[in-house]
Amino acid sequence: MNGRAITSDLLLGMIPIVLLVALWQALVSFGYAPVTLLPPPGQVFSRMAQQLLSTTFQQEIAATLFRLFAGFSIATVLGVTIGLAAAVNPAVNAVVRPIVRVLAPLPKVALYPALLLLVGFGHQSKILLVTFDALFPILLATYYGASTVEQKLIWSAMAAGTPPREILFKVVLPAAAPSILTGCRIGLVISCIVVFLAEMITSTDGLGHALVTAARTFQAVDMFVPLITISLVGLILNGLLELVRSYLLRGFPEA
Amino acid sequence: MIEINQVSQVFQTSARQDHLALSDISLTIQDGAFVSILGPSGCGKSTLLYIVGGFVRPTRGAAKMKGRAITGPGPDRGPVFQEFALFPWKSVLGNVMYGPRQQGIKHAEAEAQSRALIEMVGLKGFEDFYPKELSGGMKQRVALARTLAYHPEVLLMDEPFGALDAHTRTRLQNDLLNIWERDRKTVLFVTHSVEEAVFLSDKVVMMTRSPGRIREIIEIDLPRPRRRTELLLDPRYQKYIVEIERMFDDSGEGE
Repeated sequence: MNGRAITSDLLLGMIPIVLLVALWQALVSFGYAPVTLLPPPGQVFSRMAQQLLSTTFQQEIAATLFRLFAGFSIATVLGVTIGLAAAVNPAVNAVVRPIVRVLAPLPKVALYPALLLLVGFGHQSKILLVTFDALFPILLATYYGASTVEQKLIWSAMAAGTPPREILFKVVLPAAAPSILTGCRIGLVISCIVVFLAEMITSTDGLGHALVTAARTFQAVDMFVPLITISLVGLILNGLLELVRSYLLRGFPEA
Repeated sequence: MIEINQVSQVFQTSARQDHLALSDISLTIQDGAFVSILGPSGCGKSTLLYIVGGFVRPTRGAAKMKGRAITGPGPDRGPVFQEFALFPWKSVLGNVMYGPRQQGIKHAEAEAQSRALIEMVGLKGFEDFYPKELSGGMKQRVALARTLAYHPEVLLMDEPFGALDAHTRTRLQNDLLNIWERDRKTVLFVTHSVEEAVFLSDKVVMMTRSPGRIREIIEIDLPRPRRRTELLLDPRYQKYIVEIERMFDDSGEGE
């Protein structure tokens, strides 16, 4: 895509966001919602600019980011490893398939109370929850990608002298990269949601906690700041992942 | 020398019925011969090639290369597939270098050899392109170079020009013959085009429709190097074509 096309796409993409903010402003301006409960966007954004400079708020962001990264990274490593193993080894697949079928549809947030009791209120419970939730989309995407690798790619590599045990890393993994990265993208979005959710339920810090605390004390402006912050965090992380993706998949037709 | 002794291949269909794809095939291919396997679609001609490649184990019978039973793929037999099967994550140079690197050749030397091969197949200047950026004919040139790069004694070509337009196909046939004239590797070439088989081969193995059996082996006694424009006017060439097309019509009834 050329520069002009990217710019025009970006401008088009801004339209719904601008409309949303306009709607928000309209709700406040025309008195559909009391200003104390729904503050105008301008007020929220200026408060946010102020908060982003404060150390306390930065620490909340750091706590959330750390949990998000830790959980997402563990989920990626586990998901890719298990997905690949299941795709190439029928015995592993026989073990993994039933457990994935049972656990994948389970609302992982239901495990959170148990996690809190088991590992406490600190980072671990949030990281584990993020891991559980992000794991399945990555695992399933990896499994799907690795089990649909074109047979003739594998044959070509074997004929060139690649021993069977190296086929996994030299052919299957790179060939499955588009699927794996799609799984990671979904996993990342889920991670953003889940880390925030976990912090809202029970936490002593983090963006989710900041939101709940503000809501409980009717500080409407402070309630909206973490909300917008987490969506910006999501936007930035997704953008970074997209950069990694387009670099890694530069040879693939669909990327 | 390649010996195929009483090879039969049975596949299980999705309805769990046995389907006899190849029935009792015996064939000997001399070193340096260009042999085409010609038959209607579904006659198992590709399967026969895969058995020689070691990609598929025959249900009955055995294939031997230089007196040794074929038990798996090896760099002495290089495949070229209709689908190209290039590694999408590697550049043209990366694809061609894959084989030599797998053979333990040092990077610099592998690169030099590969660059020479890329030039030989007429793609100088495209070394850093990715397969997705190339036309079908160019992709197949890369695939041929990738296979030639690890110096197989036998080329196994599975309808390599089947996905190309008529003009590109003709050019690639000429280029393949030119390359073949230099070192006269053994070539096993699967095709459903009578003209292609006669133009290229020393020997054409005609197969019957399912189950695939050898119907006739026709020696093509035409002078080499072959020039397409000369051959088209040659009554002997025309006679081969007509003769084989007639057989083809008999065996391909209903197609």
